[in-house]
Amino acid sequence: MNQADLSKLVSALRIAVKPKPRLFASPEGPAGRLRKLKATVTALVKYERIELNYPRAEEAQSYAERLISDAIRNGDCHKHTMEMADYWLDEKQLIHKLFKVLVPRYKEYNSSYTKLVLGPKTYPGYYAGTAILELKGNPFPALQPATQNYHYWLHNVLLGEAKREFRVAKAETNANLSEPVASKN
Amino acid sequence: MLRRVVLQTFRQGLAQSFFKRNAASLSESAVTQHPIETSEEAGAKSGSKQKNGDESGNTVVVAPPEFRFMYPEFLPDPTMERRNKLKEKLERMDMLQRRSIIEIPEFYTGSIMAVTVADSNSPNKFACFVGICIQRGGSGLQAWFILRNVVDRQGVEILYEMYCPLIQKIEVLRLERRLDESLLYLRDALPEYSTFPFEMEAERRLNNSVVPINPIKVKLRPRPWLERWERQNLQGVEDLNLPQRYYDRAKEVAKPWEKYDLMLQYRKTIPAEEQEKIYAEVHSQLQQQDLKRKIKRRRGPSSEQ
Repeated sequence: MNQADLSKLVSALRIAVKPKPRLFASPEGPAGRLRKLKATVTALVKYERIELNYPRAEEAQSYAERLISDAIRNGDCHKHTMEMADYWLDEKQLIHKLFKVLVPRYKEYNSSYTKLVLGPKTYPGYYAGTAILELKGNPFPALQPATQNYHYWLHNVLLGEAKREFRVAKAETNANLSEPVASKN
Repeated sequence: MLRRVVLQTFRQGLAQSFFKRNAASLSESAVTQHPIETSEEAGAKSGSKQKNGDESGNTVVVAPPEFRFMYPEFLPDPTMERRNKLKEKLERMDMLQRRSIIEIPEFYTGSIMAVTVADSNSPNKFACFVGICIQRGGSGLQAWFILRNVVDRQGVEILYEMYCPLIQKIEVLRLERRLDESLLYLRDALPEYSTFPFEMEAERRLNNSVVPINPIKVKLRPRPWLERWERQNLQGVEDLNLPQRYYDRAKEVAKPWEKYDLMLQYRKTIPAEEQEKIYAEVHSQLQQQDLKRKIKRRRGPSSEQ
């Protein structure tokens, strides 16, 4: 059994986190893995919507969420957070963007800060395909249409009628129950 | 407790930013934050309870942030495959039940403690051991700590499980911290650094609100050692005086990228929101137990009179 590490306070991530990390093979080993993920996180913060392969997108999503949540929790005067931002963001003007643009944008959020949407599979076979990783609140048009519910759609019409029938039936049964009581009185 | 309120000096020795981070950790989006100093002025009754009001006016009781250092075994094992909320809740209930019977005091690695265990094979049915806590770990009812002492020039270490029913008494003779979280290097240090007399008495603390950090630098015996201490970034050890090739090899073998691996850190710890929930659940009972013991201690000598 392990005891939880107390040296740092971290915010709970609002995305599904897998128990084990993905190991991206690289000639440099684990350092290369982090270098590639660094490039992905930098690109995400810079362009706010990137298209890449699904495995790297999923890993980078969790790292981006961690970075943003740390920035929100600790702010830019916190030494450790600034070191992390300096490491993960290759372009230094993005550190400014992180603390001055993204933190105010996401401060009041109760949901995750990023969205991962599955993209097309460019060739046939059993593989994860591409994915589009984006920061929420980006200025681009939405990838998926907003869910709408129109009252004139057939299933909504049928459901509405069913609800009305149920309410009528319930009112009748209530009336039947109360009538004998009223007649007694 | 009032004695716990002054946080800055306590934490500065270990990490500068604990206080600021703890102040931030207690705030949620809809909850206003009271600075920790004001809880002292609030009075003895609500001394360590921080009542944060949310928008609806209901008070949300939150435990003081230092609870996670005083009672680290209440946090569950961070390994995701082994998390089970029901099991953890039942374990916490059992832990509180055991703590109501026996006092398990606050201690840290580097504190000198005396533990009395029920032993059917010993002449007076109890076995007592005094030693310095070199490591602690485990979560829940399996929480343990290791005490080390040198007895008749033989180093002895005993691992005690804190919630074992055989334990009769755990007493902290000297409450202090060291510069490292794990003092396993004492096994390779000169024996005087691990020797403590069995008749040692509990020392009275000068300042109840601060746990002192002992900045001692321990001298190690000449090699061979049990571990490669030069690779472990130890603060509490004197200069190892090794040939340069050892340090070069340590640099080759080091993993400096792990410091920046955010997900590795995340998987090793429990998120702050969960920690707050857990300690909010248990802190009132822990405080009540502590208060009862204090009252008993004060009444004890007076009732004998």
